[in-house]
Amino acid sequence: MEELDLLKKDWKRKENSFSQLSEAEIYGMLHRKSSSIVKWILIISILEVFLWTGIGFIYSNDDYLKSLKHEELLVYFRVLNYFNYAVVLVFIYLFYKNYVNITTTSSTKKLMKDILKTRKTVQYYVWYNLFMIVIGLISGFVVSFAYNPQMQLMKEKMAHEGKYMAITLGILTLAVIASVGIFWLFYRLLYGILLKKLLANYKELKKMDL
Amino acid sequence: MSDSLEQSFVQQLKQNQNIIHKICRLYTSGQDAHNDLFQEITIQLWKAFPKFRGDSKFSTWAYRVALNTAITLYRKSTRSVSTVEYESQKHFISQEEYNYEEEEQIKLLYQAVYQLNDIEKALVFMYLEDKDYAEISGTLGISEVNARVKMNRVKGKLRKILNP
Repeated sequence: MEELDLLKKDWKRKENSFSQLSEAEIYGMLHRKSSSIVKWILIISILEVFLWTGIGFIYSNDDYLKSLKHEELLVYFRVLNYFNYAVVLVFIYLFYKNYVNITTTSSTKKLMKDILKTRKTVQYYVWYNLFMIVIGLISGFVVSFAYNPQMQLMKEKMAHEGKYMAITLGILTLAVIASVGIFWLFYRLLYGILLKKLLANYKELKKMDL
Repeated sequence: MSDSLEQSFVQQLKQNQNIIHKICRLYTSGQDAHNDLFQEITIQLWKAFPKFRGDSKFSTWAYRVALNTAITLYRKSTRSVSTVEYESQKHFISQEEYNYEEEEQIKLLYQAVYQLNDIEKALVFMYLEDKDYAEISGTLGISEVNARVKMNRVKGKLRKILNP
């Protein structure tokens, strides 16, 4: 294509037309902050881990469970908690491993795969958390209904009036859906914006190599 | 990281900085965006430098990392390009005498290239840099045959943009 050759001619001619940076200027750049996508994914993931762990600490239900005077519940929730921490630790390890795996020297396709894998890990992490929210909320409701003496009045009312029960269940279901929905939306927006360009480029590369 | 490593990196980067400038020329328009991308590439190169073993030339290694940064890690949108912004790049042009008509055509060519997506720009870049298909396929991680096919498509696309 002769046009491209014209461009090449011009390209070569302008090869040395850039204003040159000094060593001092390059030194200055080395310690500035990167704005790369992967760094942001990592930071956001870590923040997410802190957020969830923090929520776990703030809303500790130990006292509440103790007040119910059912020791077996305390054990049950402790086990669930420890299991949760173990899973979070595994995720942190995976995030770190992904981050280390991303080296800019591999081929573009491999690099993109690694970055998208990082995103997948985040995605699994979010799904796991959503799942735990649902489990937590439901078991919370069940425990309240079954063991909390304060719920006695409500239970009696529900037993007598079907409408009252339907409304209560409806509100609880809506609460679960709303909390899951809000978080899901937030997640979609956050990573959607970050990864829009990357996804487009990845699709382009994949299309090339069918 | 040790000071000597840093010193060696800075020296080599200084000598090879035109590679990065050239990538910035294709992927950005305007001096600010150019500097932004240059900085991002420098940071990524520095981060990857400990893994550079010297079994290839610094320039070969650097252009791969730089290109990958432009394609994958750089987030600022550089899609919208106006003629005004191209004008601001005029100071790059050396003061040699030039053919006005040819210069107009080159300007249109650059504008056409700016309309390509990141991957297509990478192909154009490697074409302009006289990289062979083995190198292109290795850099992008696609087969040589596909690199060839895609290069032809990019040329076709450019032709279409230029002669609608």
